[in-house]
Amino acid sequence: MVRFKNRYVLCEVVSEDPRCRQCIEDRAVGLAVRDAIGKVHGDYGLACCSISFTVKYLNAYTGTVLLRCRKDSYRLLCSALPFVRQLESRNLRYPCFLNTLHVGGTIRTCQKFLIQYNRRQLLMLLQNCTNEEERQCIQKSLLSCSLTEEQSQSGDEEEDDGTETD
Amino acid sequence: GLTWSQGSFRKLLTGGHCCSPLPFLFILVSTFAQARAAEINAMLKAVAQKSSNSLVFQTLPRHMRRRAMSHNIKRLPRRLQEIARKEAEKAVHQKKEQSKAKCRKARRRHINLVAEFNRRQRKNIWLETHIWHAKRFHMVKKWGYCLGNSPTEKSYRACYRAMTRHCLLQDLSYYCCLELTGKENELLKQLARICSIDTGLTFEEACCLSGRFEGSLNLYRADRYPEDMLGPVTFIWKPRDGSENRHLWIWMHPALKQDILRELKAIFQCSEPEEIYIPEPVTASIQEEKQMDGVLSLGKKRKKEDKEGEKAVPVKKIIGDGTRDPFQSYCWISQTTSIVISDRTMEILRYRLIGPLSHSVLTETLKAASLQTEMADSETELNNWWVENCKDSEKVSLHQHQSAIFELLEGISSPSEMPPGTILGLTVGDPRVNLPKKKTKAMPDFEKYQDNDKVRQLYLEGVPVDCAHSFIWDQDICKNVTENKISEQDLNHMRAQLLVPGSHLDLGPCESKIPILLVQQPGKMAGEDRPGWGSGWDIYLPKGWGMAFWIPFIYRGVRVGGLQEALKHSEYQRTPHTPNDFPDCQAGMQFAKELEASLLEKFKRRPPAKRANYVKMGTLSPFVCPWGQLTKNWEGRMKASGEFVRQSSPHPERCVTEGHSFCDPKAEVVEEASPETCEVEETMEVTRSEGALKTEDVTGTQDFGEKGETMTSDFIVLRNEKLLMQLSAWCYPTAGKDRRIRLISRLGQKEMTEDVFLPILMSYPRALVWVNLSLLRKGNPELHAMICIPTEDDLLHLSKNKLFCGPQEPKHRDIFKYKVQKLKEEKKKKKKDNMKALEGDPLGIPDKEATEEHEDLILGLWADALPDVTSHCSRTLLGYVTRGDFSLAVGCGEALGFVSLTGLLYMLHNQPADKKGIVLLRTPASLQYRFARLNIEV
Repeated sequence: MVRFKNRYVLCEVVSEDPRCRQCIEDRAVGLAVRDAIGKVHGDYGLACCSISFTVKYLNAYTGTVLLRCRKDSYRLLCSALPFVRQLESRNLRYPCFLNTLHVGGTIRTCQKFLIQYNRRQLLMLLQNCTNEEERQCIQKSLLSCSLTEEQSQSGDEEEDDGTETD
Repeated sequence: GLTWSQGSFRKLLTGGHCCSPLPFLFILVSTFAQARAAEINAMLKAVAQKSSNSLVFQTLPRHMRRRAMSHNIKRLPRRLQEIARKEAEKAVHQKKEQSKAKCRKARRRHINLVAEFNRRQRKNIWLETHIWHAKRFHMVKKWGYCLGNSPTEKSYRACYRAMTRHCLLQDLSYYCCLELTGKENELLKQLARICSIDTGLTFEEACCLSGRFEGSLNLYRADRYPEDMLGPVTFIWKPRDGSENRHLWIWMHPALKQDILRELKAIFQCSEPEEIYIPEPVTASIQEEKQMDGVLSLGKKRKKEDKEGEKAVPVKKIIGDGTRDPFQSYCWISQTTSIVISDRTMEILRYRLIGPLSHSVLTETLKAASLQTEMADSETELNNWWVENCKDSEKVSLHQHQSAIFELLEGISSPSEMPPGTILGLTVGDPRVNLPKKKTKAMPDFEKYQDNDKVRQLYLEGVPVDCAHSFIWDQDICKNVTENKISEQDLNHMRAQLLVPGSHLDLGPCESKIPILLVQQPGKMAGEDRPGWGSGWDIYLPKGWGMAFWIPFIYRGVRVGGLQEALKHSEYQRTPHTPNDFPDCQAGMQFAKELEASLLEKFKRRPPAKRANYVKMGTLSPFVCPWGQLTKNWEGRMKASGEFVRQSSPHPERCVTEGHSFCDPKAEVVEEASPETCEVEETMEVTRSEGALKTEDVTGTQDFGEKGETMTSDFIVLRNEKLLMQLSAWCYPTAGKDRRIRLISRLGQKEMTEDVFLPILMSYPRALVWVNLSLLRKGNPELHAMICIPTEDDLLHLSKNKLFCGPQEPKHRDIFKYKVQKLKEEKKKKKKDNMKALEGDPLGIPDKEATEEHEDLILGLWADALPDVTSHCSRTLLGYVTRGDFSLAVGCGEALGFVSLTGLLYMLHNQPADKKGIVLLRTPASLQYRFARLNIEV
């Protein structure tokens, strides 16, 4: 039994316009990425990448997107991601770009990375905040997520294979 | 294994904190932080969950593994110990509790083994050859028995070869035997009510009545012929022996037993008045049937004497019927005529040998019993009946005559050369004594009998009447023989003590004598090709002797078949098989129901995209044959076309057929013929109105039946031999190179004209005819394939191009697809609502019931009530195939099935003379029609 090996690309949708958030949905992101691959690598590249290509996870509020493709062709995908210029859905079109955060071999490693990344973000926010109200707000949310983490800490490290960071 | 889904996550988000998403023109720190926090939480949840179903220590990398990690938690890294402890406590991973059963040695101890076997056959009876079969066959539980279905080895072709060239053995002990005892005329008077001379034999048939031949016939409910079929049976009269009481054995399939027994009890008035049962549907499965059996016999004479003792000794090998309730009677006496009906099921064993060499197997295996004038041991009862018998010189000479004839059998090349149903009684010695050392193949030695006058005489005259006598009819002797059987162990012990190892064991006077009955099975009698194919011998033995005869047969190189092989046997003989091909009797209907359920189950197990869409194929009912609907539609068509001729006001039935472009060539024919056949039409009209009345009655009863859920059939199967003969003659082409004048003149005399077939139509408005079809070219017919009428264009194509393999059915539109999809969506929605409702308030439950009403809509199956089945497709439907396969005997696809009598006559009437009997076949999952020739064999 040999499994098909995949690569999971964790990206972040970065946009100037906050309204872009409405556009962040699987179809729109998937189409935009496909278009970009098609433009950059042509039909062959598109066909290579679209084997088992899906948007595995998407969070419209934080703009996180998890893409999956075959291990053989993830370079094509990664190289095409910078060429995504806009997202389009419901006849609305907003300029944005995708920022690649992490490339992993399992969803699990991506999840772990995302936890770390988000935490870093929050800490950064905490350092840079300007007034007391914001500070409390951030502290509250930081605390709300760090408690559960302590409990499940032991189970986290059991599977650390297949990680690859580009 | 994804443990986290976007949907749930999104719901979490929307449920958690959703303010209207539109006016986002600036970023709030709080929402930004909250969104991140929520995501971290969700991710943590997902990561914490163990995704794989492996144990903790299995997820460790190899260099960290330690021996005995699986049961010693302390060997794990400390951080994993807690999880491992939790895991170990889970029930799944816990070690199974030591079963209380004894060790294997104890279990295999003979007493315990027998007790275990007895326990296991409480529900389904085992045949005596069960253990032998269970090691070599796929076993099925059917009709209250455990039966071998087909061998586990590859033997499809080998079994066919054994049937045609050598010998195939089958254990038919599960067939049920009812014994009727009483005065001959009393018996015959009542038995005449349940069968009809039209269908062939009756119980009164002279040669059968003398006990010389076995007969077979179809039983009907008393005075109800041709409706209310009970099922096919075979019967044997005990030869006259001076006393005025006659014995009659009626052998039947176990699925038919309850119906027939009930009917027999009713006609002989063997039950008390309050227990005359209204015919109930056999909806009960077989296990329940047994219980029903118990109910039926309540308050009747009970046999007590032998059953009390058995309870005290629990560990005893069951011989005979093990599931029978000890307090249940199997003997019913009529008060008025003193006729006794006794149930001798499992008292007599029955093996069937099929094939031309079956009697060389018989003659090699069985040796006639030697005469014995003195008892071996005065203490035992062993053979005392035989010693008694040997004192009577008349009986001795009879025995010698019987054994002489039995030995002559070897000189006859095939059992089919004997007159059908020949009975030969015999008393044989223990077949285990002359068991060959190796498995050998029994071959006949014809040269020995080349110029033997005696063989020729046997050939010409058959077995004389007095040779049919056998002691197996005597229940006391049978009991004696069963009880005094030398056990296998003793026999082997005696063998071991022989002076020369392996020499012949001579038991002398201790050898058991077993009365048996040999009955010839005629094989294929109807039709012209392969006469006598599949003929053989049935051997009837007293119970307890099953394995003692079975193994010696096996050692003569026979092949053993199961239920599937029996099915094939009857298929190649082109005879209906019980209970599959008796759609008009209760057992047949029950069978069809079970088959439908199992096929539907199988169909539903496939994903919708990977299974045939029968609606698109135009197959209305792929899993069951709607015989009632078929006959009703044909009757409606006939009526409508009749009305059409007479140009009368539109009839409600006509409206149905109008939409389907039913242009009736027959109508034109009748119109053309009308000037000279005026009076014919007059009679037609009269009879037609009668027929209409009759059918109205029938439909009335049918409606009632549907409400009451009793399975009354509204059609009959035509079994009138004269009519079938006539139909058979009409099925042959009357012109062209395929014509067979001699055959036709032998079969039927009449030309096919209106005044001949219209009365048939009128008297049998809703009849089915058993037909066999052989494909002209390619094609392999399947179960429930449709038999259709070719159009004139099709026949034209065929005559122009011999290679034309058949027309195609245009693809139908799936009118239910949309409905199914909508229903599915609705269901999904309802489910969601229910989920929400359950969280909120428990008011969502009534909705759930509403969705369940439509749940039986399955993609690919016709969902509504069936429309007119005959005109649903481009070719008019005539009937259905009940069995079809590639025939090894003929070398082309062959099918057996039923067609509507009305439809058949209509088709034959309109077909050109050189193309008579050509039909189209289409399997349910295909659009391709194939040409086939239709035949009726009588």
